[in-house]
Amino acid sequence: MSSEFTALLLGDSITRWVFFPTLAAIPLLFMRRAPTAAIKWYGLVVSLIELFFLVTFALAHWDGAGMVVKDPVFSWIELPGLAIVYEVGIDGISLPLVLLTGLLLPIVLLGSWKGIERHWSGYVLSMLLLTTGILGALVALDLFLFYVFWEVMLIPMYLIIGIWGGERRIYAAVKFFLFTMAGSLLMLIAILWMGWTYGQLAGTWSFRYEDLLLLDLPLAHQTWLFAAFALAFAIKVPMFPFHTWLPDAHVEAPTGGSVILAGILLKLGTYGFLRFALPFFPHAADRLAPWLLVLAVVGIIYGALVAWVQVDLKKLVAYSSIAHLGFVMLGIVACNLVAWQGALLQMVNHGLSTGALFLMVGMLYDRRHTKKFEDFGGLAKVIPWFAIFFVFSALASVGLPALNGFVGEFLILLGSYQAGYRWFTVIATSGVILAAVYLLKMVQETLWGPLTKEENRHLPDLSAREVAALLPLCAFMLWIGVAPKPFLEPSRPALAAVLESYRDRLAGPIADQPTLAISAPGQARVPTFLAASARRESTGPQP
Amino acid sequence: MNPIFAIPAHDVASILPEIILTVAGSILVLLEAFLPGLRRLYHALAIAAVGLAAWAVATLPTGPSFHGLIEATPLTGAFSQVVLLATVLGLLAAPGYLSRERLLAGEYPALILWCSAGMLFLVRGVELLAIFLALELLSIALYGLAAFHRREAFSAEAALKYFLMGAFVSSFVVYGIALVYGETGSTRLDGIATALATGQGSPGLLLLGFLLLICGFAFKLSLVPFHAWAPDVYQGAPSPVVAFLSVAPKVASAVVLVRLVAAIAGSPLGGGWPDLVAALSVLSMLIGNLFALVQRDIKRMLAYSGIAHMGYLIIPLASPGATTWRPVLIYLIAYVLMNTGAFAIVSMLYARPGEQHAISTLSGWGYRFPLLAGCLTVCMVSLAGIPPTAGFLGKYFVFLHAIENGRLDLALFGIAASLVGAAFYLRVVYMLYMKPELAAPERTAIDLHGRLAAIATAGATILLGIWPQPLLDWIVRSLAGL
Repeated sequence: MSSEFTALLLGDSITRWVFFPTLAAIPLLFMRRAPTAAIKWYGLVVSLIELFFLVTFALAHWDGAGMVVKDPVFSWIELPGLAIVYEVGIDGISLPLVLLTGLLLPIVLLGSWKGIERHWSGYVLSMLLLTTGILGALVALDLFLFYVFWEVMLIPMYLIIGIWGGERRIYAAVKFFLFTMAGSLLMLIAILWMGWTYGQLAGTWSFRYEDLLLLDLPLAHQTWLFAAFALAFAIKVPMFPFHTWLPDAHVEAPTGGSVILAGILLKLGTYGFLRFALPFFPHAADRLAPWLLVLAVVGIIYGALVAWVQVDLKKLVAYSSIAHLGFVMLGIVACNLVAWQGALLQMVNHGLSTGALFLMVGMLYDRRHTKKFEDFGGLAKVIPWFAIFFVFSALASVGLPALNGFVGEFLILLGSYQAGYRWFTVIATSGVILAAVYLLKMVQETLWGPLTKEENRHLPDLSAREVAALLPLCAFMLWIGVAPKPFLEPSRPALAAVLESYRDRLAGPIADQPTLAISAPGQARVPTFLAASARRESTGPQP
Repeated sequence: MNPIFAIPAHDVASILPEIILTVAGSILVLLEAFLPGLRRLYHALAIAAVGLAAWAVATLPTGPSFHGLIEATPLTGAFSQVVLLATVLGLLAAPGYLSRERLLAGEYPALILWCSAGMLFLVRGVELLAIFLALELLSIALYGLAAFHRREAFSAEAALKYFLMGAFVSSFVVYGIALVYGETGSTRLDGIATALATGQGSPGLLLLGFLLLICGFAFKLSLVPFHAWAPDVYQGAPSPVVAFLSVAPKVASAVVLVRLVAAIAGSPLGGGWPDLVAALSVLSMLIGNLFALVQRDIKRMLAYSGIAHMGYLIIPLASPGATTWRPVLIYLIAYVLMNTGAFAIVSMLYARPGEQHAISTLSGWGYRFPLLAGCLTVCMVSLAGIPPTAGFLGKYFVFLHAIENGRLDLALFGIAASLVGAAFYLRVVYMLYMKPELAAPERTAIDLHGRLAAIATAGATILLGIWPQPLLDWIVRSLAGL
């Protein structure tokens, strides 16, 4: 295994950019006494190299219409009757989230420049390990591997919240950890059960995504397994009523932690639904769809209403995340191409706009050491550049046409309306109005009005570093809003393939016994991106 | 010469590892008497002896010896190596503590080696009296070790408690042996299995006999409801002793327990046994984890965590068969690494041996002792069963075995218990890194040996989580004959 792995690390492969952050984190173990500035710059350079790897990889493997790349598969754990493979691949569904991760990492480090005061080597170390966990979970095509990466994300995030967070950081960190772990442990059992069932039918255990997709399960089994997966993902999203860890985690986390958490970690929940929970258990998903829809819409309204009454900027943004992710869930459950494209785009949009909002709340906090509305007001006169970026991001988050949020939400609402969920769509649409209410309230109370506080009169405006962190985010918000096509096109083939296989299976009969479908060519059971004909392997050793 | 006392050469050769350990221990005691100036080298010598014993285990010809009292198979070889690994780690953990407490003496490594010899016999014993003698050998050495801090009342108290518990175990086991022998006419496990299969003996007495035997070893493994001694003994005994005592005897006792359960499970008496084991397992997981949650003393917490881990360990025993050995072996290896590592680090960091080892003492020390704290964090993450660590690998194989054998209920219980477990293991991590320092350390006992133990255990824990294949290949080879 080791030689194959090393060859992959050195070659132009997915593995390289998944593990590069971890390898780059090793020197940090010996840099504890290095000057803080050196560590900061080291982290920034590493994150830029990582971004460079990601972008060049994406460009190199772009085939004009989409992107399907897999690293050569090799055996990771092999025992008689049990094989766990190291299998990673990327397609149009994971690509946007992977690129978003790469984009946010340097921005997070820039945004933490002032706010993080202690133990920078540990901070960068945690961020880099977290990045490996995120990227790995996004590309893993073996469920066991996916679970390992999924759990690897936990400890660094726990440390980021707990060490560099606010006053109640330990409470928030432990809560975050236990909530997430509760869900994922049940998912582990579900994964094991599926691997075993596959083993019963095929003779050898397997956790490979494409193998497990062949399982046809009775409705009762599907329902339990779907529930186990859905719980893990719903906690991560978080869907109402599993959301209670989120406000605590966001409020206590340092700025960088909040940005990563909102920007990417939450998306892994929705990604999990799209990639695993729905394709594996179509019948159960279809039966339970009304419940998921109710939770999604309740999340939209509840998140918006609670955000409205917050007196703390960061809490407001945190609750707005619940509402926004409710939209994403609505789109996913609607199960048609328009809604899914909107949901995927909205995942990215939320990462950009909420990431920017968290960054700016952090910037205010760096200057004033408070996040309460009552301490602000009239800031537009003092820090006009900040005000411009703030209003811009807030409007993007609201869903103003010509900015990114509009495109995503519109597609989701259109898709869910087309799917026949009219009333859910209507209620969800009122969530857009509520978003305007609370986000404009946020802008109004901080930026407009009279300048009442003496301390606010001499706040410095954005520094070059802060502009450098915000500008790329805002540029993408505008770009997606004005010309969304280049962002929608790459994911279309992949989403269409998953959707087709989902619909085919849903139309088929429900099995009485667990059975194994035979994957015939032309049968759209395994989404085409996994089918051998469409697969392109990254360079590396051929198995 | 009277033929009765002539021991055939191949029998002598078959106990070479034990001879090496015993002789090395005796030499260390003699060195203590005649060359006390070499004290600093004793532990290195002992480790060398263990290395030699490991080589002897690896080259041992397979087959029974001493008229079938003990046997050597690839399986016993594998478990013997795990015992020896625990011994080496136990030896590495001690010198720093012993020098600080002015206790450095040849008797300590000697007792460890003798104890280790007893465990090797226990792993290899396939006859009840041989098992009993091995159990006594290891227990008596451990009583001495638990009382090793002779100036501390706590240490003596712990030793006394451990001794009383041990006396119970011995009497249970002897009584059980007597009953089983009385009903089956054999003390050999294979003979007993044959007798059981033919329906020989009164079922009631046989059941009682086996129950007593299993209770005895459940005591040794500190399974609920036979666990009450563990927290007190762990708290009072010298920490490096606990690093050894909390793992090595469990490896050896687990082997006997698997053998016993296997012997009875295949017989007509076997009906309710899997459920009995399942009950022990569930109780241990739940009570161990729940009680650990409320502990403020790190040694007591680790004691309860150990109880819980034994609960996970015996999950596979609820569905006995040849496949039981693999998850048990993997879990024990993971447990040896992470638990010894944790106790070794605890024994270095805490100043006053007798007093409470409050977890809060560690507050903020993550930045003062980056290496040890990092290793302790790895051990805690592994104990909590979070990938990529050996602890996760162990849990994975245990749960896999449960699901494979239709014990989904046990897997789900295990999952629920793990969640509770995560909460208290993480408390150590947040004390280390997230709390401001309460007090500067007074008298740490950090030495090269201890650092080596910490790095080795933490490193191996991570390595096994990332790249377990070499270990698994070795395990598959060792268990091939089953």
